[in-house]
Amino acid sequence: MRPRPERFGAWVRVDDGTLVAVDRTLARALHVEETPLWDDARPEAPALPLEVHVAVTARCPAGCSGCYQSATRDGDDVPFEELARTLDGLAAMGVFTVAFGGGEPMLRDDLGALATYARGLDLVPVVTTSGIGLTPARARTLGDFAQVNVSHDGVGGGYEAVRGYDGASAADRAARTLLDAGVSVGLNHVLTRQNFAHLADTVRHARALGAREVQVLRYKPAGRAASLDYLARRLTQDQVRALAPALRAIAEEHGEGISIRVDCATVPLLSETLTDAAQLARFGVFGCEAGRHLGAVRRDGSLAGCSFVTREPAPAEGSLAERWESAPELERFRASVRERPEPCASCGLRTVCRGGCRIVSEHLTGGFAPDPECPRVLAWKATESAR
Amino acid sequence: MTHDEVQSHILAVRRGPGANCSSIGSAVEMLFLSATAGVAIVAAVSAALRPHDDEDPPAETPPVEAPPAPPSADP
Repeated sequence: MRPRPERFGAWVRVDDGTLVAVDRTLARALHVEETPLWDDARPEAPALPLEVHVAVTARCPAGCSGCYQSATRDGDDVPFEELARTLDGLAAMGVFTVAFGGGEPMLRDDLGALATYARGLDLVPVVTTSGIGLTPARARTLGDFAQVNVSHDGVGGGYEAVRGYDGASAADRAARTLLDAGVSVGLNHVLTRQNFAHLADTVRHARALGAREVQVLRYKPAGRAASLDYLARRLTQDQVRALAPALRAIAEEHGEGISIRVDCATVPLLSETLTDAAQLARFGVFGCEAGRHLGAVRRDGSLAGCSFVTREPAPAEGSLAERWESAPELERFRASVRERPEPCASCGLRTVCRGGCRIVSEHLTGGFAPDPECPRVLAWKATESAR
Repeated sequence: MTHDEVQSHILAVRRGPGANCSSIGSAVEMLFLSATAGVAIVAAVSAALRPHDDEDPPAETPPVEAPPAPPSADP
């Protein structure tokens, strides 16, 4: 059990990785040390991240048409020593989970050593890969990862439709190689209008492979995906309406056979179905947590609210904790939650959704407007324009 | 603290960790959770959290070794 003191009490990580927020009374009973954070007279500081995404390389030969990092074959790796310093800083902040990404992290010979280093700091390391560069020998070095997620955008031609090349069989091979090495595997599934119809089959496929999780990701217009093509790839409104019933049916079909997760950006797309914000918050459902429970460290060591942010970096001066508190780019995210305009301002889901995906908003509106693909936002706009 | 008391001090439960490097995820079963299932989850978590010093009775004070009997005055 690992506690992290908070203003409200503490976050506590229990043995299976579940995070539990407890009040001060229970925190004290759990022997969490008395902390200045519990002095209500002190001004409140920004929440510290629970999870941070760390870019370890810009190198990747896949050339996916929608790569949010615009990774290339000639991209640079971040030196191990720099990453170790970053991990030291994140551990000092009390971060629980670090997710390594790229580029293609598997191209690094020291990927397993990075996981081992993170474990030594009591961080939970995870990583996402396309599977390129994965060999049985490499897989055997990855035992310190809590989970490795393999990108797999679908059966039935879905993968090729999303990424521009058919890497489905390579992803399957990578998943099997990892499982053979005893590594827990999940699949990352970027959802677009081209592969939406294959979602249920893809989850069945993932379960048959032995994956323990499928993470469904909204397609986001960052990097090479920030183009006009985005409009032809994002879900249609009919698909958005069908998404919640589809996810519910998939969850019911599989029970505990496989875990299904949706990413922060997908939450607003489900807003017609989700109603009880208090219950969603109680069970850890997160919308846009950029700059709050989620952060990203980019290849140059700069901090961002999430790894899709491509604006100018926050200055990499001072400790990570100092920068987390004061970086203007992070404050921009936080302010956009505090000062949400209508219809978010009066939306009952606001405390969970937090205004929707800023990456989508910025691409489509030029700023952090309410998520223009959220059904509630679309309905509000229709009503306003009919007046 | 009893299980019920522990549960009353739990503010949120978040299943994790996800393993995606670009966005933070939430378990779908938590999106569509019934009230009964929610109670079961909190109960399970409270069992993992229950402070041990209240759960187990304090260990008994080890018996002090009896002093050696004084030498008998009896012959």
